[in-house]
Amino acid sequence: MSYSFTLNGQPVEATAAGMTSLLSVLRDQSGLLGAKRGCGEGRCGACTVLVDGSPVDSCIYPVANAEGTAVRTVEGLASHDEPLTRIQDALLEHGGVQCGACIPGVVMTLTALLETESNTDDSTVRSSLTGNICRCTGYQKIIDAAQAAASSNGGPR
Amino acid sequence: MTLVGTSARRADGEDKVRGAARYGMDYLEHGTLVAKVLRSTVPAARITRLDCSKAASMPGVRAVATAADAPGLSGLMIVKDQSLFARDVIRYVGEPLAAVTADTAEQAEAALAAIDVSLDELEPVLDLEQALAQGTRLIHPDWESYETAMPGPREGNLAWETRVERGDVDTAFDTAHLVVEDEYRTQRQHQSPIEPHAAVARYEQGRYVVHTPTQFPHNVRGRIAELLGIRLSDVRVIVPTIGGGFGGKLDVMVEPFACVLARKTGRPVRILNSRSEEMTTCGPRENAIVRLRTAVASDGTILAQDGVVLADNGANSSGETVAVANVAPLVLGGTYRIPNARYASKVAYTNTTPTAAFRGVNGPYCVYAQEQHLDHIARELGMDRKELRMNNLIRRGESMVNGQQLDDAFLVEAMDKVDEIRPWQDAQAERRPFRGVAVVPLTWLTNPLPAAASVKLEEDGTATVTCAGAEIGTGAVTTGVLQIVAERLGLRLEDVRVSPTDTDTGGFDGGAQGSRTTYGMGNAALDAATKVRDQVLEVAAGMLEAAVDDLEIVDGSVRVSGVPDQQVAIPSVVGTAMFDSGPIGASGKFATPPIPFDSGCMAGAAVTSFPAALYQAHMTEVEVDPDTGRVTVLRYVVAQDVGRAINPQMIEGQIQGGVLQGIGYALFENLRLGDNGEVIDDNLESYRLPTAADAPPIEAAILENPCSYGPLGAKGAAEPPIIPVAAVIGCAVADAIGKPINELPLTPFAVLQAIKES
Repeated sequence: MSYSFTLNGQPVEATAAGMTSLLSVLRDQSGLLGAKRGCGEGRCGACTVLVDGSPVDSCIYPVANAEGTAVRTVEGLASHDEPLTRIQDALLEHGGVQCGACIPGVVMTLTALLETESNTDDSTVRSSLTGNICRCTGYQKIIDAAQAAASSNGGPR
Repeated sequence: MTLVGTSARRADGEDKVRGAARYGMDYLEHGTLVAKVLRSTVPAARITRLDCSKAASMPGVRAVATAADAPGLSGLMIVKDQSLFARDVIRYVGEPLAAVTADTAEQAEAALAAIDVSLDELEPVLDLEQALAQGTRLIHPDWESYETAMPGPREGNLAWETRVERGDVDTAFDTAHLVVEDEYRTQRQHQSPIEPHAAVARYEQGRYVVHTPTQFPHNVRGRIAELLGIRLSDVRVIVPTIGGGFGGKLDVMVEPFACVLARKTGRPVRILNSRSEEMTTCGPRENAIVRLRTAVASDGTILAQDGVVLADNGANSSGETVAVANVAPLVLGGTYRIPNARYASKVAYTNTTPTAAFRGVNGPYCVYAQEQHLDHIARELGMDRKELRMNNLIRRGESMVNGQQLDDAFLVEAMDKVDEIRPWQDAQAERRPFRGVAVVPLTWLTNPLPAAASVKLEEDGTATVTCAGAEIGTGAVTTGVLQIVAERLGLRLEDVRVSPTDTDTGGFDGGAQGSRTTYGMGNAALDAATKVRDQVLEVAAGMLEAAVDDLEIVDGSVRVSGVPDQQVAIPSVVGTAMFDSGPIGASGKFATPPIPFDSGCMAGAAVTSFPAALYQAHMTEVEVDPDTGRVTVLRYVVAQDVGRAINPQMIEGQIQGGVLQGIGYALFENLRLGDNGEVIDDNLESYRLPTAADAPPIEAAILENPCSYGPLGAKGAAEPPIIPVAAVIGCAVADAIGKPINELPLTPFAVLQAIKES
């Protein structure tokens, strides 16, 4: 089967069985290695991408469901010759990145949060992050980064 | 320059937040084949038949490997009892029997299913105590034939033992005011980094070139060589970005399969663990039993302690459990004065997955046991728990149980700092039903293994550090070491780079373990940078017609002190040196100086002392829900001596991350084994990792108590924050419910049961 959607703003057509995971399509067909297959069972969130603005675990998201949607991955946030987005920058400024394997997913979850939520108090940020496991940081600096990015002028880029 | 001590951003950070960093799990080579491993589904058996002929001729299959392809016996440093594939005998569920490489994963899986295996099952030995009981079947009947790196007590299912004995223990017990005895039991904990184990190997010019995200490339090199029966220099290990390790990526795991299959096919071979393979076959922190008996005087002074630690090795010594067995006595006798002590640390074989290193090896359960035990003593004496600890705390110049004198002991200061942030008296005064408080001090070590690094200056005036230090994620290599080098050379941080980790180009490095990178690699890189600085100044002295002693390096230029207009830029110094004395560059190295201790008091100890000892105190306040047994950590305070804080923000990150891993261990992480010794929790649904909702507010105070042989005074910082967590939470929960619980984890079920029994 063939499925059409936009990937980081560009139209794409993926040929794969409908139950093929969106993550496999991204990594194996589109060459986008940012999203990680941490667990492959929808638990760790390292594969988080945005489908029509909402975070999904792409490792268990059938590509058939992506038909007609807008898919965004970490690579689509800021290209290499562009400055970092506010949340990317804040994560580095606040020391929220250690090994970084969870970070592509964390960045997408927080991007969605900052785009949709006006309230970014501690508990809102925490509950948005419960689907993203970080084994390194203890989360505090990631939460600090999210709140700093939300409060910087103009909201997220 | 004031780079050291600043919270500089990590140099590898931009690629990580852009999703551009290439991890071990992302690495591929052109024409790479896929490898899969056939693993045992029974815990103990004799192999009567292993026929791979059908599998080998299946579509897409390029090679099959079995025990005949990997003739060596290996083990992590001490006991060489591990073969890559089971030969004749199976010793755990998950033990490799054969490996297949094929064009696709599906073809490799199909071939595994076609391997014909016949077994005679044996009675498994699964229980730690049963393993050491008289008459139990030996898991390694040939144990005496195994090579060991050093002599040590061992026999039958006792894989290894270490002993420490000082003073007159029996007399102290005979004359004591009070003797208290307890037993504690703790579970397996899995490291569970986000990135599973992965490797790509190719065979070229008679050598194996392996890309693997390992914490300890030189160890993986040596272990591959030993298992394959080849020279270690025939293996080259290159390390891509590492997606977390926590001890789980110190040792060889999937790399040798890729190597064997690459040689057999002449093609690059990739192997990547599924999460289930990760949980079931990659060695976790060992389960353990700790028995403590302590003699005390009426004023609470500890007179003597007799302790036995029983740790589960699993089926072989491929993990670090044997090598670090003596950490148990040292940590039990490293924080409080124990004038008379007798400890035995026993590591037993069982028919279960081999156990291995996890951040804080041996520490968390020993400290958990010791601190619950001290609370028991305090209860018996009717004494304040903090007062009991303060009275027995090792002071500056006093000795640990191994006779090592702690001239820089900083435990009182750490306890005082915690008390300043949250006074013990206030916490006591504000107590409410089902709320508990506890404070725990701890002495720990910095891993002392050696390091080498080289530094060269490029023609553009930047510097490149080359080493085999692995960037595990702490930032120690890509930022901390670079801060040290930049500071010494008078360069901007962004003008110092580190080349990729490679055992061919970097000298020996003891790995990203035991907080040693900033300390060991920092020292080696500082040594190299100092020599480079000397070369720069000597050449510049000639150019400026000034004495070396009058020169300083500021912002990338060498200038005569106090005469800013008399200066040369570093690129012109490098250019002048090129055809004068030769390119500027130097090698640096470091070995930990000998630590004096009483060698006569120990047997079987590979870890004999606590080098670059560091000190900390943890305090917590918890609340227990009496209806559900759920424990909530309300407040957590850490004061930790790091010697010198090279990058305070990164240290804070290590403290917050380590404490949360410790909370997982204390409250819910438990890698359970089933009736066949198989791992039950083979996924992240039943093996729950801490989420953002589990993370309490953590207040961290960084204390600077310099180490005379650390780089600029630095000691280890990253490993220890996990160690006292289960102890302090256990004590606080016992305080909250008025009853001790002598087993981890403190799940709602366990806590509720304890409440109901009281």
